[in-house]
Amino acid sequence: MNVRSTYEQELASLQDEVFNLGKEVIQTFERAMELLDKGKGHLLQDIIDYDKVINKKELEIHDKATLMIAKQQPVATDLRTTIVALKISSDLERVGDLSIDIIKASRRMTAFQPEHKIEEMREMASIAVSMLDRALSAYKHKDLMTAQQIAVLDDKVDAKYKMFVRGLFAMSIEQNEIENIAQLAFIGRYIERIADYATNLAEWIVYEQNGQHFDLN
Amino acid sequence: MQSEKKRDTMLQTEDNRSTNQVKKETSNVYKVDKLNLWYGKDQALKDITLDIPEKTVTAIIGPSGCGKSTFIKTLNRLTEMVPIVKTSGEVYYRDNNIFNKKFSVEKLRTKVGMVFQKPNPFPKSIYENVVYGPRIHGIKDKKVLDEIVERSLKDAALWDEVKDRLKENAFGLSGGQQQRLCIARCLAIEPDVLLMDEPTSALDPISTLKIEELVQELKKKYSIIIVTHNMQQAGRISDRTAFFLNGEVVEYDDTSNIFSSPQDQRTEDYVSGRFG
Ligand SMILES: Nc1ncnc2c1ncn2[C@@H]1O[C@H](COP(=O)(O)OP(=O)(O)OP(=O)(O)O)[C@@H](O)[C@H]1O
Ligand SMILES: [Mg+2]
Repeated sequence: MNVRSTYEQELASLQDEVFNLGKEVIQTFERAMELLDKGKGHLLQDIIDYDKVINKKELEIHDKATLMIAKQQPVATDLRTTIVALKISSDLERVGDLSIDIIKASRRMTAFQPEHKIEEMREMASIAVSMLDRALSAYKHKDLMTAQQIAVLDDKVDAKYKMFVRGLFAMSIEQNEIENIAQLAFIGRYIERIADYATNLAEWIVYEQNGQHFDLN
Repeated sequence: MQSEKKRDTMLQTEDNRSTNQVKKETSNVYKVDKLNLWYGKDQALKDITLDIPEKTVTAIIGPSGCGKSTFIKTLNRLTEMVPIVKTSGEVYYRDNNIFNKKFSVEKLRTKVGMVFQKPNPFPKSIYENVVYGPRIHGIKDKKVLDEIVERSLKDAALWDEVKDRLKENAFGLSGGQQQRLCIARCLAIEPDVLLMDEPTSALDPISTLKIEELVQELKKKYSIIIVTHNMQQAGRISDRTAFFLNGEVVEYDDTSNIFSSPQDQRTEDYVSGRFG
């Protein structure tokens, strides 16, 4: 007989909640990018409002995990699973916040829309989304191989970000669009941060599985 | 390429953690080498090999009947009082083989005190309980005995509660106080090691916490080996933990490792409450 089946059920449902939070955060990020594409940042109020819901869900996960620790005093893998749920949900919440920052920055931009720069950001963002997707899947399936691949993708985002910023510098010399270029730089930076958070998720997944910390960044 | 390599190793659990041998810098009070013990035909300890460092708290955990009491009783040769007991292997206390014919059991027991699950004070006054050991060792001077009583009771965190009634019978004390009196009785002969076999399992939560606090104090001066069924207690008070199962040591490591990421699935199952 498994004497801890109640606790195991609670853990499983906690992990489901983290996973679902992740899915919603990815959607927020994707929509933020989509509307930036079309230069319609001003239409995104509903996403900004929904961020409050995401924050609330993250706090719920926090409270639930805290209560589980208090009541069940988990150790070893149980404890790591609980702690990692806390860590991952808080990293996801940060990704949500950064997505909102992207929307706000895109609102501050005027008509100036250098297509090739937008395209570069789109590429970075699509890698970052893929990283988040893989991280969630690795989390769900306790899949260390996938977690490991995320680090490789992060290197790609970093490389692209470097090129992107370099390009912006060149542009700022040629064009009188300092304010808009600064916003573009911010957005690029937010995307790069989101990719970093996805890498953090991968690190937590590794920690959950074998109790070791690896710096994948 | 540095990072590539890091990622390769990420998938394996690094196996460079401490094993049963404690690092060289600390001296060991005990070195146990391939200890086997039988009660008649039944083997209760199997090839136990481990070092116990001094001035630390070592917890012995494991399910009922796995040999915990047998193990710590062997450390001060209490098991040999059972006629059917046979042992093989070596136990060194401070580099002396305790099974050696020339090694005196009496001397061992003045160095290694033991506290049992149920407090077992003598039916005498609090004072007489504490001076029992020193008297046996021939100390008669009243002033010296008084000093021993005060020091031992203070070290056992009991002095303030009993200093005004030292002449009263020890049975008038609460269970938790009786247990601390038994600890004071051990301390009176200035031992080197304290063996404790589930010292708090008969106590209420507050008395339990008092003993736990006490153990933290005592480890500054003494080496403590404690058997406990209370996982949280092992986690709270010990530096090293040995997990016993069916007479074997499955895992012996820093307590933080045992409770955060044990290497053996059986340890994991036991500490996370899945059996036992
Ligand atoms: N005096 C004895 N004679 C015969 N067998 C014994 C004796 N004492 C203990 N045993 C056996 O040795 C094994 C280990 O017993 P031990 O008391 O060391 O276990 P333990 O880990 O301390 O258990 P518990 O947690 O219940 O105190 C058990 O199978 C027990 O039945
Ligand atoms: Mg026992």
